Amino acid sequence: MRSWLKMLKELTVRPKVKRIRKSPSYSFDEELNKPLSGQTVREILAKSSDIVFRDFFLQGKERIPCLLAAIDGMVDKNQLDQYILKPLLVDLAGHPEMAQLTIANVLDKTIQSILPGLELKKISKMEEAINAILSGDAVIFFGESKEALVFGARGWANRGVAEPITESIVKGPREGFSETLRINTSLLRRKIKHPSLRMISLKLGGMTNTDVIVTYIENVAHPDIVSEVFRRLGTIKMDAMLGNGYIEEMIEDNPYSPFPQIAFTERPDVLAGKILEGKVGIIVDGTPIVLSVPATLTQFLNVNEDYYQRAMVAILSRSIRYLGAFIALLAPSIYIAVTTFHQEIIPTDLLISISASRQGVPLTALQEALAMLITLEILQEAGLRLPKPIGSTIGIVGALVIGDAAVKAGLISPLMVIIVGLTAIASYAIPTFDLGLAVRLIRFPFMILAGILGFFGISVGLYTLLIHLLTLRSFGVPYLSPIAPLRLRALLQDTIVRAPWWALKRRPQLIDVEEPQAGRKGKG
Amino acid sequence: MKSIRPPKIGLVLTLIACSLLLTGCWGKREVEQLAPLIGLGFDLGQKPGSYLITEQFVRAKQGKEGVEVQDRTFTIEASSAREAYEMISKISSRIPFMGSLRVIVIGEDVAKAGINDMLDFAQRFSEFRRTMYLVIAKGKAQSILNLKLRNGLLPAMFIKNNLETGDTISTFPLVHLGHYLTTLDTKITAPIIPVIESIKPGEEGVEYKADGKDGAEIQLQGAAVFRGDHLADFLTDEETKGYMWLENNVVQRALNTAGSGESKVNFSGQVLNSTTKYKVSDQDGIVGLQYQIKASIAVDEVMGLKEQLSETGWVDLMSEAEKSFAKVIEKECQVSIQKERELGLDFLGIGRHIEEENPRYWKTIKDHWEDQIVNFPVSVNIELTIHHSGMSSGSPTTN
Amino acid sequence: MERVSPHQFMTLGAGVLMGGTFLLLASGVTIASGRDGWMTVLPGFTVGIPYALMVFSLLEQYPRKNLLQISEILFGKWIGKIIGLVYILTTGYYGGLLLALLGDIFERSIMPLTPLWVFYLGGLVLAIYLAGSGIEVFARFSEVVFPVVVIALILSVALAIPRIEQGELLPILDEGLKPLFRGVLKVMPFAMEYILFLAGISTFLPTGKQELGQLRTEVWRAIFLVGILNMLVVLIQILVFGPEETIRLANGILVLGKMVEVSRTVSGVESLFMGVWLGAMVIKMSAFLFMVSWGIETVFSLKGLKWNFVVGVVFLGIALGFTRGPYMLRELSVTESYLMFPFASLWIPLLWGVARWKKGAGV
Repeated sequence: MRSWLKMLKELTVRPKVKRIRKSPSYSFDEELNKPLSGQTVREILAKSSDIVFRDFFLQGKERIPCLLAAIDGMVDKNQLDQYILKPLLVDLAGHPEMAQLTIANVLDKTIQSILPGLELKKISKMEEAINAILSGDAVIFFGESKEALVFGARGWANRGVAEPITESIVKGPREGFSETLRINTSLLRRKIKHPSLRMISLKLGGMTNTDVIVTYIENVAHPDIVSEVFRRLGTIKMDAMLGNGYIEEMIEDNPYSPFPQIAFTERPDVLAGKILEGKVGIIVDGTPIVLSVPATLTQFLNVNEDYYQRAMVAILSRSIRYLGAFIALLAPSIYIAVTTFHQEIIPTDLLISISASRQGVPLTALQEALAMLITLEILQEAGLRLPKPIGSTIGIVGALVIGDAAVKAGLISPLMVIIVGLTAIASYAIPTFDLGLAVRLIRFPFMILAGILGFFGISVGLYTLLIHLLTLRSFGVPYLSPIAPLRLRALLQDTIVRAPWWALKRRPQLIDVEEPQAGRKGKG
Repeated sequence: MKSIRPPKIGLVLTLIACSLLLTGCWGKREVEQLAPLIGLGFDLGQKPGSYLITEQFVRAKQGKEGVEVQDRTFTIEASSAREAYEMISKISSRIPFMGSLRVIVIGEDVAKAGINDMLDFAQRFSEFRRTMYLVIAKGKAQSILNLKLRNGLLPAMFIKNNLETGDTISTFPLVHLGHYLTTLDTKITAPIIPVIESIKPGEEGVEYKADGKDGAEIQLQGAAVFRGDHLADFLTDEETKGYMWLENNVVQRALNTAGSGESKVNFSGQVLNSTTKYKVSDQDGIVGLQYQIKASIAVDEVMGLKEQLSETGWVDLMSEAEKSFAKVIEKECQVSIQKERELGLDFLGIGRHIEEENPRYWKTIKDHWEDQIVNFPVSVNIELTIHHSGMSSGSPTTN
Repeated sequence: MERVSPHQFMTLGAGVLMGGTFLLLASGVTIASGRDGWMTVLPGFTVGIPYALMVFSLLEQYPRKNLLQISEILFGKWIGKIIGLVYILTTGYYGGLLLALLGDIFERSIMPLTPLWVFYLGGLVLAIYLAGSGIEVFARFSEVVFPVVVIALILSVALAIPRIEQGELLPILDEGLKPLFRGVLKVMPFAMEYILFLAGISTFLPTGKQELGQLRTEVWRAIFLVGILNMLVVLIQILVFGPEETIRLANGILVLGKMVEVSRTVSGVESLFMGVWLGAMVIKMSAFLFMVSWGIETVFSLKGLKWNFVVGVVFLGIALGFTRGPYMLRELSVTESYLMFPFASLWIPLLWGVARWKKGAGV
């Protein structure tokens, strides 16, 4: 019994520091502490066939045996040929510069006068050498020297800069982030050409050694938020860091809430906009999704398209989105509550026709709604896995077709099909996938509450949801700002109404940071 | 304050959820289980102290072309509304639903006996609403609600529709339950409720082709005056129209000068808008009420015009028309005031007007107001303007 | 330390002051003052202003302490503890009665067959969740919910305008001013409840001189806003129903909701409004829960979530003891007028008076 409870506790309560699994019995750390030498590297890495070792000699004052180590597929072999091997072996053979070389001065001389190439630096630790090779650089060892050269010549196959899949707009740039870190940082740099844009890199993941870059603008981002980001990233001790999802879960304030507390984006212009507002971005190598913190609820309902359209049009689209989110959450519940508890709201003629259409339907309103919505969820999930042309339509169309067939079979009433269609379409108005998922999840408890207690149930549910949202914080910022606590200026500037650019005299004050207390997670 | 640790609140919520889900659902009724009540009728029962309650339900069916409405009307003799509810539930498989009730038809006989007791259910039970319409039926409510109308509608639906379009002719007051109760509470004004009756072909000057011997039509005309909650007397069509004028209830009205026998040329028109104001006048200690009616009219018909008129002639004709129309309105008002004096019942609300404007004087006369009504000075002053006379000025003439 | 900003103070205070007063007010003041009852509402609420100012001046002298702690300082430990005990008992009892009122309103008007304990449980879940999350979350909650309540009230009044019976308001003041005093007496206890809330929340208020000035303005705003809204509610009921009916109808505003008919389609929207009134009542009830837990914290030094649960259960017990509507309503008005009103109206000035005397004496 106690072990069950303990297991339950481990699964549900998130400890401060998490180890997913212990590393295999083979401890890699000893190897990394050995002194730097080409021989050792060869021993460590020779077992994999994709690692290339090129021995060659430099004839200087002494004969220096050199070793070039790189990973085939990650390194740009052309650059290695052109800028390392060719100069060293061909161009400068017999050159008087070469005659000066000894093991002692070979590194300095190579860097300063012999080798071209932009990224060339000295290293003296085994760990650095292994990391460099595994990251796609080439490392050159010179004889028994305790130092080596790292030549940055990365070039692997990547997707390049393509149109982002998850966020598409009509009128704006179409560049999207890629899986390579450097490409992403370069895209961001092109948007913000200011020296205050900082990019601090760290490595996460015991086995994956994933590069992560934290980016922010020095005097715009609140220093407490920045330091909090670093603190939380530092607590992550996992072996695997395969994508942003892992980071999200580890650094969120409240992992139990269905609401996302970290925003993500695939577009450099969106990220640039957020960073300019004072947020902090987290770019992870290997995934085109970039995280930004802190995130508030109203952010998830805004789309960058709003900023590219005219102010009046943007107001309309935003209002529709908010309305859509509301309908997606509550439409089935209101239908259930009205038809089972509060029929007096329905005008008499409508009451008669609803009554007629529900003749012979074996299910109650609640069961009907649950059945239809579960079918809708299954179809939507299936639609995601199907190939592109079919997948996107099968969600709604499938639900409507099946709904129609069910009506003819006498299983559900036609009004239910309309409600379900409306709900599905309204949930597509929510631009952020995460928030859409949250709404889909919460819809079900609301329906059950409506089926049991009518409007009282819906009201209690809504208030509970409201209180929950009010207690949420994202990195110290209350989740529901600027609605509560009320920042009227920010509310008018960027929530339902977007102020035209010519009306904004100051930078929008969108973040409300209260002093976080030392050691406390989240609530300040 | 610490925030609630997640496992604990999870436990609490689960407990609550279990207790809510596991014990049935209360007060939950599916739409198809309801029998919407659209009309309610009251008559006197044969046994003393009992009523004849007619309940008109609708049963909706999905027919081939759409929704078919089936009439389920029952008449029960019971001593209270709840007893009737019980007896009907024994017959019907559905739950009677009061929230859709729109019309209450009160039979003549029970109106004379007093209606407050029967209406108590309607104003107390939460499913009802105060905007339900009240009508008095000449004869028995049961027979009206059981009529098979030519237009296929159930009588209650028809009455409701007719009441709601009454603004266009403004010949009867639209009384809903709340208004009746508020008027009753003033203890000065006598409540007034519109009257319906069924007419056979040839009655009331209307001929129509009946479907067999059951076909009938229902007409809304006139009103009934109450003393407290007992029916006192009926008002004729003209008296009701006068009431409408004096109570500022006229929205649109069709006026007709033919029949006044005054001039050769007769006019008819539609009142576009009208306002009635009143003033409590005090002349040498004698307090009276002065009504001031301002109306504007558009002339729609000119009959009996035999010659072409010049422009000034036409203007003169129009002012003559104004005077004729004003005379018609005045007659209606006077007839109504006459009736009030005759009955000794203040359905025009004169006492209330005095209380509003001159409370001190009112206090002196309120105890014997009913006697005072007979002689109380009331004057009516009418100001009518003709806006226009339609698409043409003269009438087509033969010479 | 958790803080409440001035704007949150206004919405929170107004929310607590408003509570469910608009549901029962009309009937009460019309019984007391007849047709002119609507005029007594605003003066009744403004009685709270001098008391609030007294609380603020106490706060200036003793920042960051609630009035129970100040009582202990000024009157000595034992008297302070006795006052604290009275505070706990009155607010606790009234909180339970509020819970009973919530259930009564729902059961009477829209959901007759649902057992009362369901409503009590629903309301308690919200109140305990709020109390457990702290005063800041509570302040933000009322920041969001109170404007919705205001909008719903204004809508209720506006949609009832087509139903106004002409001339029901006249004659004005034909009975003279004396009946108005009776009406004001009926309204004053509500303001006193607000003052008791202030007594407890003073620990969380900002203390700078400028902020105290802001708080004073916010109190004026809150009281006037609530006073005017309630006045409108009573006014529209007298206009639509007439004075006799207003007295008879227990929950006039709900009946107004039932009478709404917008272009023949939307009708009977009282169920929608009920959700909003639920929020208003929950705010007031949670405020009382807070008051009891502040009291317990100050007098017995007991803190923590489990005590909130205990208080919640006590509320439930009190509410379940009053399943019969008429008895509960009578108990409610008796508690208001004879328990809370004298307690608050005597305690605060006494406290203030002693504090000033001490300040004057240079202690």
